[in-house]
Amino acid sequence: MDKLVYLSRLWHNLTHRQKVERDLDQEMSTYLSLLAEESSPREARLAAGGIEQLKEQVREVKAGFIMQTILQDVRYGWRMLRRSPTFTVVAILALALGIGATTTIFSIVYGVLLRPLPYPGDDRIAMVFNHFSPQNTEHGTLSIADYLDWKKGNHAFESAELFRPDAFDVTGGKEPDRVQGVSATAGFFSALRVQPLMGRGFLPGEDAANASGVVVVSENWWRTSLAADPGILGRKLNLNGVPCTVVGVMPSSFHFPRPPFKLWTNLRLIPPKRRGPFGWRGLARLKPGVTLAQAQMETNGIARQIEQEHPMEYHHMSMPVAPLRDEIVGNVRVAFLAFLGAVFVLLAIAAANVACLLLARATVREREIALRASLGASSGRLIRQLLTESLLLSVMGGAAGCVLAYLGIAALRAWNPGNLPRIEDVRLDGLALAFALLVSVATGILFGLAPAFQSGRDRPASSLREGGRGGTAGTGRRRLQAVLVMGELALALVLVTSAGLLVRSFVLLGQVHSGAQAPPESVLSMKISPIPSKYRNSDQIIPFYKRVLERAQATPGVTYAAISDSLPPDRQYDYDTFVIQGQQLAPGDINPAVTCPIVSPDYFRSLGVPLVRGRFFTEHDNGDAPPVVIISESLARRYFPNDNPIGRRLKASGPELHDTPFMEIVGVVGGVRYTGLDSDPADAYYQPYAQTLYYQRTNLVVRSNGPAAALAPALRREIRALDPDTVISDVVTLEEALGASVVGPRFRTLLVGGFALCALLLAAIGIYGVIAYSVAQRTQEIGIRMALGAGRSSVIGQVVAQGLRLALAGTVLGVAGALFATRLLSSLLFAVKATDVVTFAVGPLILIAVAALASFVPACRAAMVDPVIALRHE
Amino acid sequence: MSELAPKTTNLLQGTLDLLILRALSLEPLHGLGISRRIEQITRGTFQVKPGSLFPALHRMEEAGWLAPSWGESENNRKAKYYRLTAAGRRQAQTETEEWQRISLAIAAALQAT
Repeated sequence: MDKLVYLSRLWHNLTHRQKVERDLDQEMSTYLSLLAEESSPREARLAAGGIEQLKEQVREVKAGFIMQTILQDVRYGWRMLRRSPTFTVVAILALALGIGATTTIFSIVYGVLLRPLPYPGDDRIAMVFNHFSPQNTEHGTLSIADYLDWKKGNHAFESAELFRPDAFDVTGGKEPDRVQGVSATAGFFSALRVQPLMGRGFLPGEDAANASGVVVVSENWWRTSLAADPGILGRKLNLNGVPCTVVGVMPSSFHFPRPPFKLWTNLRLIPPKRRGPFGWRGLARLKPGVTLAQAQMETNGIARQIEQEHPMEYHHMSMPVAPLRDEIVGNVRVAFLAFLGAVFVLLAIAAANVACLLLARATVREREIALRASLGASSGRLIRQLLTESLLLSVMGGAAGCVLAYLGIAALRAWNPGNLPRIEDVRLDGLALAFALLVSVATGILFGLAPAFQSGRDRPASSLREGGRGGTAGTGRRRLQAVLVMGELALALVLVTSAGLLVRSFVLLGQVHSGAQAPPESVLSMKISPIPSKYRNSDQIIPFYKRVLERAQATPGVTYAAISDSLPPDRQYDYDTFVIQGQQLAPGDINPAVTCPIVSPDYFRSLGVPLVRGRFFTEHDNGDAPPVVIISESLARRYFPNDNPIGRRLKASGPELHDTPFMEIVGVVGGVRYTGLDSDPADAYYQPYAQTLYYQRTNLVVRSNGPAAALAPALRREIRALDPDTVISDVVTLEEALGASVVGPRFRTLLVGGFALCALLLAAIGIYGVIAYSVAQRTQEIGIRMALGAGRSSVIGQVVAQGLRLALAGTVLGVAGALFATRLLSSLLFAVKATDVVTFAVGPLILIAVAALASFVPACRAAMVDPVIALRHE
Repeated sequence: MSELAPKTTNLLQGTLDLLILRALSLEPLHGLGISRRIEQITRGTFQVKPGSLFPALHRMEEAGWLAPSWGESENNRKAKYYRLTAAGRRQAQTETEEWQRISLAIAAALQAT
């Protein structure tokens, strides 16, 4: 049969149902009248008697017959749902919540964790790191010297590239701008297999020491900051004072490693004098047929060789290799899988809830269904009808859930909590919609199946009799309801406990002190980046900062002004190893690297870091004075456990540093956290800025008597007045910086907390439904008991006890489930064990309280029963 | 006398289709007219019952071989006439050839002994 003809007939039959019916009627009645004229009356009567059957036979051959029966079921189901709008709305809302949350989180997990990166063959691209003592970072960074050794020994990768994310102060565009960018070796773009929109990438040899500077910019940045200049290729920009020629524009889809990165410049491999500085990462594409494990063996071999040649610098060295995607996604995997688990739990609760509601409603419809069954509907037909209804519900819930998911994703993208990697790849796409549909249909079948089969099993005769007598009906159904509610409560408890643990860790994290005792809102910091070409050495930069400090100090409202390259709670700038004069170290042993901020005298006063002993720096600790250093309390405790450290001397270690002078310890200050609130106060040694060969960039930090945020414009003006080319960025109060540093944990806590609240709400609805249903069923029995003298309180007590029994059983199951589930959370917790006793005590109490409350309402209704009316009922 | 029940073999169903297609090859007819025409052209051998005829007509209409056209019946009532479409004519041609091939083969088989 011709498909097109069939489809057009199908369409016609479905859209013109009434006309098709009318035509059939007309055809048949004309046929009968003709027959009546030319045949015997008996024959005509017989034909007329069979006419409905004949019509049905004709309908069965029509295109779309099966579809029409389904549509009939759907229409019938829709009428049934419309007849009880409260039930329908509650069920759809519960499902929308479950499906919406699941789809949102699925979209995020897919977009962030699973969607391929926009680089062809992205699973073949790896990043290469350095792991050694004393740096002791699992995925630590390489030095250029390490890279050159790796490149020389490399056979596993097509090419070995090196890059470093960096911030560039760009001049030569519209106005001085501070831009995130990458410096990388010549094969960087070809390793990623990406093509520029205009111009070219790097040429081979452009990473040579004497190559001239080139830069490739992103399309977005070219449009926004370079006015989409069509003649951009060949123009010169100054990156940190180094002139670079623009050679290419990358399409906006390219933003390695993350969206804020707007330019890529060539790294010039100047042969290093020592193994450091570090800060570089390897990027490489595996040769065809080579596995990551093989590449790993090769790099580790190279690392062992480096270690043997440089025993002073490296201990336990290896060069870990990791897939690029894992690196870009970073440490959100555990959190996201936890979210995914949480939403599926929520979905299961929602489905169980709707199943309970359906079961309760099945009681109301018992007689209708029994009637249909006794009139000859097969149990298969009835199950199909009930399943159609539950699918109808779940698909409507799914549609509403998709709207919720769309809004949820839009909100998450706007908020971008905790700087989620790849959030730009998260969207509600066809895959997510397919997922939502699948989840809807699966839940629809799941929650519809139990009540449907329960109905299919009921014997019509007994249902009709039970209904007629108003006895205690549907034991099986009630047992099923109780099991579902228990499951719901148990799952809700798993979520409540998980959320409780996260809330407790978040609260504890919020109580952690950064080490700065000044009120956080009274401390304001801003990053200042003078143009390097203007300040070539410390003789030029130190006076500039001195003037900045003088002007800042003179600004009305400023109590203290200081500079520091590192700031709490997570803005560590540099860390280095050190040696203490006279310290006895085992041969080849090194003290671990510690934070080493470079600060001006009033830094500690600005932040309110207490002096433990000795003195702070003064203006006299300058280049003409003997070098001095201040150490943190924890460093003092660790290295001078029994002595007074004041007067002892230390210096940065490293073989090329033997001729640098030791610095005398003049003070010990309180501990400050520089690597996040969840890590310990840093071991640190501070050096005075006026004695140190200076880095160009630093932070100005001021303290005021009141809120300090308002000082920003005035300070900006003062710095601009000193040097209009200086880039000012990252203007934040300490309060904001503290908030930003815990944005990830806050996001996790809010999200899982939200899920837990939804779960509690759904569980409360579930238990309320079951108790209310059972009270409604037992109205007569309660009436009899009250007529026989039972008091209202004993009725309430009995009903609430029924709810509590369910809650207790759910709690026992839930605690077991939670013990298992929270173990998976332990890496997300701070200062709280996964088996935290407080959480595991409070969670069940909350659950039981909610259950008691939810059963109290129907219990009160039961106590209001008037025995006379109850007994006369039915 | 042969009755064509709704659930006949493919051969018989094919036969009914072919008979309907032949019956309509001259002019459009309504349901009862088709039944009369078949009786007439098979010299009374086939009396098609409505339970076979109408489902077959509608099935063939869905297949695009027949098209409805509404006209007036002998007793001045609105009646559904069926006419052959181009696809129906092609189908008649194919089925006729097929039938002739089969009947020749059956005839040959019967004579073979």
